[in-house]
Amino acid sequence: MNQAATSTPDVFAQRSFFATPLARSFVTVVVCTLALLVACLIFAPSAVSWGAFSGSLPFAAIIAIVGLGQLLVVQQGGFDLSLPGAVSLAVVTATHEAHQNNGLLFYAVFLSIGFALAAGIANGILIAYFRLNAIIATIGMNALLYAGVFAVCGGTPSITTTLLADIAGGETWRIPNAVLFALAALVLVSFILKKTVVGRRFEAVGANPFAAQATGLRVQTHQLMAYVFAQLLYCMAGILIAGITREPTAFQGDSLLLPSVAVVVLGGTSLLGGRGFPISTVIAAFFLNQLSQFALAIGVPYSAQTIIQALALGFGISVYSIKWTVNLTKKNQTNGGLHE
Amino acid sequence: MKDATKSKGTLSVASPAEVTLKLTNISKYFSSVPALLDVSTEFFAGEVHAILGENGAGKSTLMNIISGTFQPTQGEIVFQGQAVPQMTPEKAKSLGIAISFQHPAILDDLSVLENVQVALPRTVFTGTSVREDVRAMLDAVGLNVSLHMRADGLTVAQKHLLEIAKALAIKPKILILDEPTASLDQDATDMLFGRIREVVKAGTSVIYITHRLAELRQIAHRVTVLRDGKYRGTGMVNDFSNNDLLALIVGRQLGSTFPPKSPVHSSDVLFSAKSISGKGFKDVSFEATRGQIIGVAGVAGNGQPELMKVLAGLNPFQGAIALAGKPLSRSDLQSKTAFMPSDRHSEGLAAGLTVRENAAFAALGKFASKGIMSRQKEHALVNEAFKSLAVKAPGMEAPILSLSGGNQQKVVMARALLSEPGLIVADEPTQGVDVGARAEIYRILREVSSTGTPVIVNSSDAAELEGLCDKVIVMSRGRVVETLVGADISEARIIAAAVHATTHASENSSQATPKEKPQNWRNWLQSDNAPAVPLALVTILLGLYVQLQNSNFLTSYNIYNILLLATALGFIALGQTVALLLAGIDLSVGPLAGFLVVIASFFINDDKSGAIIFAGFVLMFGAALVVGAINGLLIRFANFTPIAATLAMYIGIQGMSFLLRDSPGGYISATVTDWINWQMGPIPVAFAVLVAVALVAEYVLRKTRKGWELRATGSEEEGARRIGVRINRTFVYGYIASALFTACGAIMLMTQIGVGDPRQGINYTLSSITAVVLGGTSLRGGRGTFIGTLLGAVLITEVLNAVAFLGFTQTYQYLFQGALIVVSALIYLTVRNRALE
Repeated sequence: MNQAATSTPDVFAQRSFFATPLARSFVTVVVCTLALLVACLIFAPSAVSWGAFSGSLPFAAIIAIVGLGQLLVVQQGGFDLSLPGAVSLAVVTATHEAHQNNGLLFYAVFLSIGFALAAGIANGILIAYFRLNAIIATIGMNALLYAGVFAVCGGTPSITTTLLADIAGGETWRIPNAVLFALAALVLVSFILKKTVVGRRFEAVGANPFAAQATGLRVQTHQLMAYVFAQLLYCMAGILIAGITREPTAFQGDSLLLPSVAVVVLGGTSLLGGRGFPISTVIAAFFLNQLSQFALAIGVPYSAQTIIQALALGFGISVYSIKWTVNLTKKNQTNGGLHE
Repeated sequence: MKDATKSKGTLSVASPAEVTLKLTNISKYFSSVPALLDVSTEFFAGEVHAILGENGAGKSTLMNIISGTFQPTQGEIVFQGQAVPQMTPEKAKSLGIAISFQHPAILDDLSVLENVQVALPRTVFTGTSVREDVRAMLDAVGLNVSLHMRADGLTVAQKHLLEIAKALAIKPKILILDEPTASLDQDATDMLFGRIREVVKAGTSVIYITHRLAELRQIAHRVTVLRDGKYRGTGMVNDFSNNDLLALIVGRQLGSTFPPKSPVHSSDVLFSAKSISGKGFKDVSFEATRGQIIGVAGVAGNGQPELMKVLAGLNPFQGAIALAGKPLSRSDLQSKTAFMPSDRHSEGLAAGLTVRENAAFAALGKFASKGIMSRQKEHALVNEAFKSLAVKAPGMEAPILSLSGGNQQKVVMARALLSEPGLIVADEPTQGVDVGARAEIYRILREVSSTGTPVIVNSSDAAELEGLCDKVIVMSRGRVVETLVGADISEARIIAAAVHATTHASENSSQATPKEKPQNWRNWLQSDNAPAVPLALVTILLGLYVQLQNSNFLTSYNIYNILLLATALGFIALGQTVALLLAGIDLSVGPLAGFLVVIASFFINDDKSGAIIFAGFVLMFGAALVVGAINGLLIRFANFTPIAATLAMYIGIQGMSFLLRDSPGGYISATVTDWINWQMGPIPVAFAVLVAVALVAEYVLRKTRKGWELRATGSEEEGARRIGVRINRTFVYGYIASALFTACGAIMLMTQIGVGDPRQGINYTLSSITAVVLGGTSLRGGRGTFIGTLLGAVLITEVLNAVAFLGFTQTYQYLFQGALIVVSALIYLTVRNRALE
């Protein structure tokens, strides 16, 4: 890996692929996923059938989308616990405000986007400008969003419009539309993060807010943006759930919080902030989903599935924490986004 | 005892006194870089032995080895004739070695009294009351502050005095003072010297680290000089003239070449600072003409880094700064200055990013059109910059930390140059940089300067400034004491100006003793328990208000219900408080509570014998203990962040619950439930137990060593380590405590659910954090209160209950909960920020 470090003045011609952190997390996730798929083929062919995929992939897609949102926040050293409320609010707004009328659907969607923007800006202001601890602020925001949920739906479930069910639950070229939405979100997030000035600044601010500040970057604005875009992604996931699930409850988002963090961690992004890996995050969502499918197919009870997920998560963290030991200092930890 | 005349080097002096400490051939390497090489010396009882040397000569490293903070790579420490194979901070303390650190090991979140108590062994407090003892210790160094004041309110000078007071208090055999007067004014310095003379008379051996020759003459008997980590000589102070000493200090071999200095003597001023003042320095003026490199010199910690921060636009300032005639504001400085910070790792580099990304992030706009990055343009420009700086890296996409220190610094320089700055401010640009890369860095700085960009370099290496700069300002205690230009710039002149300086810290920065009386209520207001009163008031007022609306609210039946629910949450929140006090978090408490109920549902049933029921309780606590220990071990020994560790645990425990029961089952014994829910008037006995537990926990937290160590660890891990707290053990015990409190909560939860249900309990993670935050515990660690947590738990439960009684919908339940946590967090934050002003 390092033999290139010694002499040649212009070494950039010979790029060492495996030395990059992107490659490391990407390779880990891809190898694990492929190994899992091979295991499926051998032990549980039904888990890799087209039918199993089209049934489970929309849910993997939703985890991928909320995972991307959580990723943005984690990149800034934060932690977003308002995800359940945000998703649930989008779900009930998309169902109740449309009143099963296709004509009202766009109004309902715009309304949920409006809620998402408001919640994201409020989170961002509390955390980036008032310097409230991210965990506290988002716990509070989660409760406020749930207040919104009950204000909208009063606690009773409703079914969605046929149009939304078609869009979110349908298939295009035999691919579930939810998966296409997730891929679109992935392309968008990856493009912005890796290919635009804003995104690259965003990553730099997350990687070291002090260095970023010293070079004149607007640290607080970038931190605020993380929460706003995260909310928009949660909103997207919520609207999709509204279309996919027959009769979504008011607590549809609750089960998504932990997977969202798990896929971010499995994707190789440090919970201390910094560089984010959107593609790895999405693959990790597929991996977790496929792990459940595999366990289901070979007849492992639900309990053991959860334990397997926990072990996978622990394994992922230990793999990546080897890299952290180099530079993990308390300073990084206290000075990141987790301020108060 | 021993023949004490065996000094090394050219200077050797006989002394009749007893040798307290003997160092033989001590070497210390930091990842193959030597900080100390083969140093041997002896310290005698009843003497002040000064250690003299430039910044980076190895003085502090030597002291850290004596006090056990560092282990020497080689060499032997002999204390009073006994070899000490492994020195640790605890060992040093027990031998009677006391150290007053240059950066005081004072924990900001603890009070003055607690800072003394946690750092000193119990045996020190021999008087009638601890308070009087501590008061006497502080009086001895003339520190007149309230004992109950939080240490973050102390000035730097006061912290130094407190640090010295702690060192003196154990009546040490060896007293190490590392630059003790750096922030003290004349009176405090005189007082300190008086104390030193007293302890020396009593037979203590004092090791005194300083840069100042004037002080050395005043206080020291013997002196040892270090240079570049090497021993230069020892002798009686009176045998040396100042010039002798200077000759020993200076004369470092740099081994790198400097580019020629600016030939032009242009008179147009490019950059000027007119009597600027900021935190840490005062009234600094200098100007740079075209092509000049300005050096900032002085003994470390005399305001130079703060001046750099101001020039980088990171700190506010008063005065006028102008670039090419245009005045600059702080935000102008921030965008115009390219800053190369001295602490590369925490402030200069983004460790998670690649070499290319680190170089590029200040100048991204240059590589883009319409906001979209051009990979080609970026690669071409970064590559070009790397070529001109001769950066050696395994590749553009290599992790930045895989580079050597010198190349890392060059990447920081590449970033600075790519951003086309108006001004370059380099703070210790060659620290941790090898000789070859140094020469390159000098060359680049000179090139940049000659193209008309002013360059300002702070360096603690006087020889470097001599070789590099066209003008050097020497700072001492925040002021410029000398400005050297042209041929006057020499290492000797720079060091002489710094060490001869006799200025003392200005009056206002040092012994500002606030009047004690009116401070008392303020101290209380800032204490950890201050939130208890408003919380209790809100709880009572809310109860009365709801009672006015609905007279069924304050019935004994309903009060009983609220308190019973609050008991379960209260216990779990007490556990969460411990985790937060350690600056961590325990996400696993909710599922753990549920899991323990599931365990209970197999044992604590009506048809089981007393023994089995008892075993059930034992198992609950046993399981909690294991879970807590695993959390703690993962965090301390497997390098998991607290969130990651307890999150994995969260999911794992949930799985365990489902493994034991995939659907609700196993009814909890009605008899046990009745006992646990036993009622006395409107008060559940269990709640009374909770209150008692919270009070005991609070007592332990405030008044016992365990409690101080817990808060010290959460407040500042490094500081706690230096005063001898065992960090790993504290963390593991802390997470075990968190799990055991959760087990108590699970017992309450068990009676409320009445059945083993794997889906229950999870919500307690978030609500426990809410209760703790509401109670006023900080997520930053070190500050918190169990009583506040208890009140927070009661208030939340009351609010949820009141919403139903007021006829509100669930909407308001959530609304109030959310508003409560956000508003209270904002209030606590404001109070805390006020306190710091």
